[in-house]
Parts: sequence; C-alpha cells; structure tokens
Amino acid sequence: MTVFTDEDRRAIRNSVQRLLAERASEPEVRRFMASPKGYDEDLWGQLAAIGMTGLLVPEEHGGIGGTAREVEEVMEEAGAALLTGPLYASGVLAAALLAASDNATARARLLPGIASGDRIATVAITGEKGLWTSEDVAVHATAQGEGWTLAGVSSFVLWADAADILLVVATGPAGLQAFEVDRGAAGVRIDPLQSWDRTLRLSRITFHDVPAEPVADADAIDVMLDHGRVALAGEQAGAARHVFEKTIEYLRTRVQFGRPIGGFQALKHMAADLLVEVESATSAARAAAAALASNAPDKDVLINLAAFACADAFSLVAAQSIQMHGGIAFTAEHFAHLYLRRARADARLLGPSRLYRDKYLTALELAA
Amino acid sequence: MTSQNSSVAGIVGEVRAWLARHWDAEARKPRTGDLGGWQKHVFEAGWAVPGWPTEWWGRGLGAEEASAVANEFRRVGAPGSNLDRTNIPAIVLMNFGSEMLKRKLIPGFLTGEASICLLYSEPGAGSDLASLRTRADRQGDHYIVNGQKVWTSGARDADYGLLLARTDWGVPKHQGISFFFIEMHQPGIEIRPINQITGDSHFNEVFLDNAVVSADHLVGREGDGWKILQTALGVERLIMGEGAGERRWGSAGDVATVLDVAREAGQLHDPLLRQEIAQAMAYRQLNALNLARAKQESSGGAASPIMSLGKLAMSRILHTDARVMTEILGARSMLDGDADPRAADVNYRTANAYMTSIGGGTDQIQRNIIAERVLGLPREIEVDRDLPFRESRAMKG
Repeated sequence: MTVFTDEDRRAIRNSVQRLLAERASEPEVRRFMASPKGYDEDLWGQLAAIGMTGLLVPEEHGGIGGTAREVEEVMEEAGAALLTGPLYASGVLAAALLAASDNATARARLLPGIASGDRIATVAITGEKGLWTSEDVAVHATAQGEGWTLAGVSSFVLWADAADILLVVATGPAGLQAFEVDRGAAGVRIDPLQSWDRTLRLSRITFHDVPAEPVADADAIDVMLDHGRVALAGEQAGAARHVFEKTIEYLRTRVQFGRPIGGFQALKHMAADLLVEVESATSAARAAAAALASNAPDKDVLINLAAFACADAFSLVAAQSIQMHGGIAFTAEHFAHLYLRRARADARLLGPSRLYRDKYLTALELAA
Repeated sequence: MTSQNSSVAGIVGEVRAWLARHWDAEARKPRTGDLGGWQKHVFEAGWAVPGWPTEWWGRGLGAEEASAVANEFRRVGAPGSNLDRTNIPAIVLMNFGSEMLKRKLIPGFLTGEASICLLYSEPGAGSDLASLRTRADRQGDHYIVNGQKVWTSGARDADYGLLLARTDWGVPKHQGISFFFIEMHQPGIEIRPINQITGDSHFNEVFLDNAVVSADHLVGREGDGWKILQTALGVERLIMGEGAGERRWGSAGDVATVLDVAREAGQLHDPLLRQEIAQAMAYRQLNALNLARAKQESSGGAASPIMSLGKLAMSRILHTDARVMTEILGARSMLDGDADPRAADVNYRTANAYMTSIGGGTDQIQRNIIAERVLGLPREIEVDRDLPFRESRAMKG
C-alpha cells in the first residue's frame, strides 16, 4: 500500500492546479456549463490520465490508492476553479462506496472503469427532501427469488445524464443497502432537473420494479458519506479561499473617493472577518480529512464540524464577495455569482448545516 | 524519514526522558515537590528557550524541534518551556537589548525570579498608542520620567516596567518614542488599582513623577521604541489568541465549556439551543485547528498569517460562550455570588470577555491590522502621521 507524504500531496495538488489553470479557466467553465453535456469530456480524460478519477480506488483495481487527505486537497483546487463535471460523483462518492464494499465481485467489475475514467458512475441516495439521512431514502429493495428489484424515487442525483454506472441506495429488509442498476433498463426513468448552479447537473430518478444487483452494505454507505462530506468540505474551503482572494484583489485596485476602496474600514473589517472564516474552513476540512484517513477516534466530531463550518464559510464569503464588489458583481458576466450559486448548492448537497451542527454536538456529547 | 524528522524524534526522546526523571505527570508537579524552584530547574536544563543558541541559555534547536519540546511539556502539564515564543521581556531583550542588558536581565525573566509590567497605554493614548505623552528627559547617565500610564496589570508585584516614553517632541509621533526597562520599586512611581466591570482589580494606573531610569536600560536607541513595541505586541497577541485572558475555573484548572454548562443545567434537548451550543463549541475548536495548522506551517521558520487571527477569533469565542451560557441559564443568569455560583461564573465571563476584545488592541484595531498587514489593503489615513509631535492635536487633547 502506498503511503502518501506531504510532498506527494503537494505534487498531486500542483498537477491538478496546473491542469485546471490551463483548461478550466472561467471562460471554459462558462462554455461547458452551458453545453448540453455540461462538462469538458476532453478535460475529464486528462484528469483521469493524472489519476484523479482513481484517487480513492485501490491500486489492485487500477487506482492510486489514496486517502481522504489526497482527495481533500484535490477538491480544494476543483472548488477554486469551480470545476464542472462528475469528478465528485464518480471519483469520490461511487469510488468510496465500492472501495469500502466487501463485495469483491462488484469491486472487480466496477472499480477499474471508474479509476481509468472510461466509465462514469454516480450514486442515487436521497429522497425528495434532499436530507441524505436514512429516513429520507425513498427507494425500496425487494428480494425476488435469486435477485432484487427496486421501486421508488431518488432525487438530487448528481450527473446522472453523464453516468454509465448507476448506483442506488435503497432500504431493504436489513436496512440500507446499495445496488447497481442498468440505467437503460425498463422501469428506470431519469428526469433532469434544472439547477440554479449551472455547473452542477441534477436529476430525479424513478424506479418501477427494476432488477438490481447488490454492491455494498450499510457500512460502506457510511464510509461513502464520510468521504463525501470531507471532499465537499475541501471543495468549499478551496472555493471560499479563491473567491475571497479575488475580492481582496478588487479592493486593492478599485478606486472611489480618490483612493482604493480597500482603505475604507467598512470593507477592511468585512475582509478581516472573512479571512477568519476562510482559514477556519481550510483547517476544518484538512483536519477532517486527516481524521478520516487515519480513522481517528474524533473522526465524527471533525467530519461533522467540517460539514457545517465549510458550508457556512463558503456561503458567507460568496455572498459577501458580491456585496463588497458592488454593482459590477450584479452583472451576469462577473464571476462572483457563479460562486454564490455553487455555495448555495454545496451547502445543501449533503443536507443542511443545521443537521450537521446537531450531529456535531451529539458527537461531542459522546466524546466527553 | 528525512533527517529533520529524525532530529525531532531525537529531541523528543531527550525531553521525554528528562521530564520523566523530574516531573510527576500524574500529580502535575515536580518530583522534588518544589513547584517554586521548577522554573529555574527548566531554565538550567536549557528547556526554557530551546530555540535560542546555547550561549544564550538555549539549545540551538530549529523551530520544528523547539516546538516539539514545547509540545512535550504541554503534554504532561509541565510549565516553563516555550518561553522563546511567549516571554515578552526576554524576547524583546534578545532581539533589541545590549549585551549588558541581556546578561543582566534575561535570566531573571526566564527563571521567573523577576517579573514585569507593561507601561504602554495612557489616558490620552489608547488605540492610538503612538500619541503617548509620558516624557523621558536625559540627564547625564539617566533619564527622568514624568507622565501617567493606565491598564497596567501586575504593577504592584513587578520588578521592571516595559516603558514607552517620548524622548523627542520635534519628530512625527512614531519616531520620537523610546523603550526602557524601568525599575518599579522607587519613590517616583505611584500605583493605584482600577476597579473593573468584572469586580476584579487586575489593572492599575501608574503615575510617574520624576521617576528615574538608568540610560543603559534604554533598549535599542532613542526613537526605536515603536519598532520594538511591535515585537512585544506580536508576542502578546499570540498569547491572547491561544486563550489567555480566560478565568481558570474549577479544581482541575479547566474552564467549563458551553457543553459542560448545558449538561450541568440539563439543557441539551432544545433544538434551537443545541444549534447555538454547537456553534459556540465550533468557534473554539476551529480556532484550535487554526493554531495547530499555523504551528505546523510555521515550523519551517516562516510566520503564518493565521497567527494574527487568533486574538480576533478568541474575542468572538469568549463573547459567544458567555452569550450562549446566559441563554442556557435563562432566569438564573440574573443571580450572582452564593445565590448561584454558576451564574456568577457566567456573569464574570460576560464582563471579562471585553478584556480580550479591547485589551492588547480592540477588535476594530485588530481588523485594521489584519486587513493591512496580512491582506495588503491600504493603510488607514492618519492626519498627524507626518507632523512633528508637538504640533499635533494630541498635544492639545
């Protein structure tokens, strides 16, 4: 098993940063978010070529066998660039689910394609409330002779249009379980949902007694959600830092009343307060990643903390960045609203902050 | 494993062995039982300032190794190390003092035998400290000091005052200030305690009436005072960001957290209150994570910008804690003293939180500093910045 050093992580991060600087600049993001597929397939191939689609896939299945720490750093860069595409759905959620599964057949069948980027996977989990809790799962699994069938609805599914592999979390007789479904099978209906954040693609999927193949149990689903929270926290921290730095740049150069507006205390004080949020988000995301990677005893505390602290930080920084820019940021051509859109989506993608604030307190209660 | 890591491992082994021999981690006291002599013992072993050169009472360690030493002391609850990061007078002297002053004064500060107070703020010079009007006039081989200082803690017990006084009135305000180590036990110094909103009298007013300080107790040169002060304030803000200014509460020397208070009051069920409790706990944990990351990032030697955020973050933590604890106690928060000791604690915290959000630079000044020095935003406009001090409005105020 490979153990990644700080230096390795820096190298991975730098290679992603270089690629995204070259290929996912703001005009590119805008071009692809408005395209039918919603992402740059050529860039996807290049991300795959440097191992990003297989970060969480074990080496025996063609991945690079990384941990939450490598994923978190890469997601900081993806967030900063507002990368559009299924990296999170396929490379984080699906890869983490399958890598944690004790179903060896499913792993051997599905992980190599995910790692190489040749196949794209997504995971349908939550029901129409979008809470990502077990109570909100609205697909039911029924045993039918040797096999299983699924019935129900899954919503807010990421990048279902792009996905070759459709993994579905359902409630079965023994609690939550994950299945693979042939997306072209009779009884599967995928309805794309228009999203406010145009860099994200969301769908609602209905299942009418669709044959399904079990791929992972409830424990693997928990592991997937932990990876999902940490990676999303990284994305939020990276995006928050980027939009903050761009805003500070503007405060230094925009002149009103004969001086740069960054000289006014009203804006200086907002900036100082936001810096606290940006640094806290980075610390929280990285600490959660380290705790998950080492399975530390305070893992639950730190993951739940990162889940709401990073969501809240990115939401606040993105919202304030528009205010601090003034009129220019009310124009569609300006970058700031793209971050507000992503912040608002990210803050609900895995359930609301208030849910994680409560779970964080519960984890603290158990720890003390 | 890199060679740097192995040198850290080596020093950790050495300090652990030394602590195991001399410090009882369970009882949290020296094996000799003599807590009073502990600091001197640490100093003599070179652990007080491990990052300093061996000829200056240290061990010549790199930043990462020195920080590992401090961590080992912290881990077993032993005081006395990390003074190369936290001891204000020693750090000031080490950076700016003459050879004579270093040799004469630093050992006393590192062994704890000599104590100091800070003679900075004045009634007319708070946030705008550079407008101070206490004067030091050279007479032969000493200076005569006249003026008034305020917000001085520990003045009565202090052996030395770190004194800012104006030595040149004809240059702009920042340039005419000098930094002295003045002996506190002398007839020209009068100390009067201030009654605080907490009920304590932690701070004093200090009146200097023809007080005398020897010319060789000037640190650096005349006019260097403002520059030297920045180093001293940097250390002070670092200490405050790490949570000084909190009242130690309870027998174990621990501070009750918001969660502790909620549990004690049986108030962990209300979902609205839970949100507030979680947020208060989060502010505290996030600050700790920031500090840990800053230490890690600065172990290469470079100062992390995160360090300057700690004090501002701590203000929010302390005010939030007090506010949420007040919510938890409800009507009980109207009580005080023996009527409700927990309420008394929370009342105290409510008032005492201002010590961090005002002392050592208000939150508002702190935000200016962060915006200017960390984010590179333009400096505040100061209309008297370039005026000779005697012509500025501060002289008339």
